[in-house]
Amino acid sequence: MNERLLFWFALACYAGASALTARRLQRGSPEGTLHHASLGLMVAAFALQTLAMLWRGQHLGRCPLTNLFEVQVFIAWSAVLFYLLIGSSYRVSFLGAFSAPLVAVVLAMALLAPIDVPARTPDKHSAWVEFHAAIGILACGALALASVVGAMYLVQERQLKSRRPGRLLFLLPAVDQLDVIGFRLLLVGFVLLTVGMAGGVVSQRIVEPWPWPKGGWAVVVWCWYALLLGGRAMNWWRGRKAACGAVAGFVFTLASYWGATWLAQ
Amino acid sequence: MKLIVAGLNHRTAPVEVRERIAFPSAALGEATCALLGAAPLKEAAIISTCNRVELYGLAADAETAIAGMRRYLHEHHKLADSIDPYLYEFHGRDCITHLFEVVAGLDSMVLGETEILGQVKAAYAAAQHAGATGPALNRLFQKSFAAAKHVRSSTGITQGSTSVANVAVDLAEHIFRDLRASTVLVIGTGAMSEATAKALRSRGAGTLLVCGRDRERADGLAGQLGGQAIHYDDWLAEFPRVDVVISATAAPHPIITPVKLEPLMKARQQRPLFLIDIGVPRDIDGACGGMENVFLYNMDDLQQIAQENLAAREREIAVCRAMIAERVASVAAWLEQHFP
Repeated sequence: MNERLLFWFALACYAGASALTARRLQRGSPEGTLHHASLGLMVAAFALQTLAMLWRGQHLGRCPLTNLFEVQVFIAWSAVLFYLLIGSSYRVSFLGAFSAPLVAVVLAMALLAPIDVPARTPDKHSAWVEFHAAIGILACGALALASVVGAMYLVQERQLKSRRPGRLLFLLPAVDQLDVIGFRLLLVGFVLLTVGMAGGVVSQRIVEPWPWPKGGWAVVVWCWYALLLGGRAMNWWRGRKAACGAVAGFVFTLASYWGATWLAQ
Repeated sequence: MKLIVAGLNHRTAPVEVRERIAFPSAALGEATCALLGAAPLKEAAIISTCNRVELYGLAADAETAIAGMRRYLHEHHKLADSIDPYLYEFHGRDCITHLFEVVAGLDSMVLGETEILGQVKAAYAAAQHAGATGPALNRLFQKSFAAAKHVRSSTGITQGSTSVANVAVDLAEHIFRDLRASTVLVIGTGAMSEATAKALRSRGAGTLLVCGRDRERADGLAGQLGGQAIHYDDWLAEFPRVDVVISATAAPHPIITPVKLEPLMKARQQRPLFLIDIGVPRDIDGACGGMENVFLYNMDDLQQIAQENLAAREREIAVCRAMIAERVASVAAWLEQHFP
């Protein structure tokens, strides 16, 4: 057995949780057996993924963030971490239902795409580089979950606006709660992103010069979220616009990170 | 030994009959003990709500025990005429199924209502406290509570209200997480706005403002619901702090339009706003529903949702019965083993 097999098992669990979600949607059951089974699969998948990442880290002798595959796996992991923290504290059971498919897709992309190749010019080993990378990816996890909450907001808002809400209305939290959770997740993600970027600036001074285009990408992403949060704090927008911004922000972050990394390699 | 039940409910007896044989909740324990003395039963419990009166028992001879239960009802309530045509009875497994369905709300007037669980729990506690229950009824009732909980959490039988007022509250709860922190403005003091405001209040709505052309009625309604009456001309000024508006005036034209609402939404910092228009002709311009963070429902919308919810609950009955059947079989097997 190797760690990739563990990642596959984790993916199977996330896919299983997604299937249970679909069943829950079909049945319209708010809590109960399906929810508990789905949560159990998410926890199992998270444990398997953690084990696989530790295994790979031990093999590499450093934090496993050396190539696009590892970065993507880390993003999926940190999104689940934030779900397990946020979902229970806000009693938002259906957050897991929306997170599971997203995480499954991100992990499947990582496992299926030919991106698990050793970096051509591996980062010079430095505690600052590892700190910068790990915090930056944790930020991506929080921002991923913010986009999930944003998607939930858009679905719930659509239900309410349609004037003929279906069963989904009863499964999703209130729109004002989703708005608040989304804002807080964006704030956490933004703070982590800022700290990660600051760590990046320090590590660049120690290790190597400004890494274009990854550096430019990071600045664009940071500006996007700063604008999104600033506008939300000033009440220029909230609700639908803020939710669209969170979803678009994460899609852009993920897509452009792929692009920037390919270019850098 | 057999479990038996004899009783009547809203389907078999009109309210004039039900009210004559109802037991006050404070006297349930005493009445259950009296039932044990009047009929040949090993264990007994009485459920009495506004929609049903049912006597449960464990008996060696079911026929004699049922006859004793009927006699007890007549004598206890000093009835002049017979209520036998209204009574039903179930034995053994049918009795278990009946109780499970009652507790799960499948036999209620409002399908899937949840109040019945609390009422049966209270009845069981009274019987237990009076020493009238034993291992058989203890197991029967406790398993029925667990089954009801399972059915509720695993199906949509309790989802969606079936009255216009409660539909409005359901929607409010999916716009605002905490109704306690919300402010409700009632414009117009008709019966529907009163019912909706009451429903919101009963589910914890924080502040209630009432205004109407008839100041006396507005004062009365505000006093009745623990709210505050405001002058009809002042409702626009109160808008920035309002989260839910129930409007039911006799105005011939819309009193809330996008032109009026736009600056008010800015003043409210774009917080969500729930507009419930139960006026005919409508009080709120339909275009308001298209505005961001504004959720508008009129009377037709609410009635339609109430009907759809009822239909959806009815579709869940078969699933609930299948879930209950599994648990009934388990209780029946246990009883057969311990009380052959």
